[in-house]
Amino acid sequence: MDFDFTVITSHARFLGSGIVTTLVLSIASGITSLAAGFVVALLRLYGPGWLRPIVVLYIDSMRAVPVLVVLVWTFFALPILTGLTMPPFFAALLGLTVHLAAYAAEIVRAGVESVRPGQMRAAMALGMSRAQAVRRIVMPQALVRMLPAFGSLLSVTIKDTAIASVIAVTELMRQSETLAGQSFQPIEVFTFAMLVYFVMLFPVTRGVDLFYRRVAHLGRS
Amino acid sequence: MSFDWSVVWQHRDALAAATMTTILLTIATMAIAVPCGIVVAVVRLYAWKPVAALATAYVELFRNLPLILVVYWAFYVLPILTDTGLSPLATGLAALALNVTAYNAETFRAGINSIRRGQLDAAMALGMSRVQALRRVVLPQALRRILPVLASTWVSLFKDTSLVSVIAVTELAYVAMQIRAQTFRVLEMLTAMAVIYWLLGYPQAKLVDWMQRRFAVAE
Repeated sequence: MDFDFTVITSHARFLGSGIVTTLVLSIASGITSLAAGFVVALLRLYGPGWLRPIVVLYIDSMRAVPVLVVLVWTFFALPILTGLTMPPFFAALLGLTVHLAAYAAEIVRAGVESVRPGQMRAAMALGMSRAQAVRRIVMPQALVRMLPAFGSLLSVTIKDTAIASVIAVTELMRQSETLAGQSFQPIEVFTFAMLVYFVMLFPVTRGVDLFYRRVAHLGRS
Repeated sequence: MSFDWSVVWQHRDALAAATMTTILLTIATMAIAVPCGIVVAVVRLYAWKPVAALATAYVELFRNLPLILVVYWAFYVLPILTDTGLSPLATGLAALALNVTAYNAETFRAGINSIRRGQLDAAMALGMSRVQALRRVVLPQALRRILPVLASTWVSLFKDTSLVSVIAVTELAYVAMQIRAQTFRVLEMLTAMAVIYWLLGYPQAKLVDWMQRRFAVAE
């Protein structure tokens, strides 16, 4: 077997654009699912009673259905229902957000619930409103405790963007697949893609762990 | 807009067979990945340093790669490396097993590490060999602790089997999308696919929650 890695260098631009799309999609869906996750978790914890069963059903449903199914449904079926067609990138962003926000919400809930109820009561006894107590006392402690879980969620997000290749988002997985098919050099192309994904993912989990070790004391009470 | 849901009922046999494949694929992968995961974890913890490092490298590599890439890689590269033509099903199974074994190995390692060192020492002081002590004393305790984690890996795996649809394994996602392409009933078929996954996955997710409460380690 001979390997010829010039296929990578001669298509550097093509693969590079895929890497950029992967990064942009990862960061964008990371931010949107984090924001949506906070809203969902706060609704579940402090929202009106009638809303809670709906929120729980949403979270558990997303934990039960594959992300591939969510993405394919968002891209192909949702436009039929709404009459609006979306470019693949935005369908992927929407699908990933809807899916990952449920996981983010569970992380937020676990973090908030890990703060002892006495903290909340003490804050309210000092005259704070419920919203103030959550914002000033509970959240700062909970946020630090959520960090490691958010780190692994970010790595899950990057991995899930690869599934967006199925709905023709031209990210790294899709570009690699196309190039592998055209060049008949799948070993070289996929090995390169593996290397790039590993280099993107490994520092995320390690970096978050290291950062957490430095700030963990802030979350203790 | 007009929807024709009868298309789902007309293809019930194909969908049922595909659902069966999804379930069997999940079971087969776990049946491979649990014993292999234990072996990798034990090698990582107790084997000769260079071999342990190799096991660590394997675990870290596969935990940091998107599964869909591993599936494509297995599909294109395994036949070239092994010089044999594998069926899509066998290729998909191999890719899933490689991935889940890495996750299970990490789970077992954490489980074994959570059992205090004194347990192993005590067992060996009673005259057991290291292997005996691991098998009879450490592993049974570790297993109970990591059962909820294994269950949650199981649910992830059940969902991840949908990814082998990209190499034409005739599981639920692939078959549903095939019928969609043949009948042009896009919304109906994709919704049916989502509902079948939901019906199977929802009770599993709930079961995991229950196990997490039931087997929680009291600190």
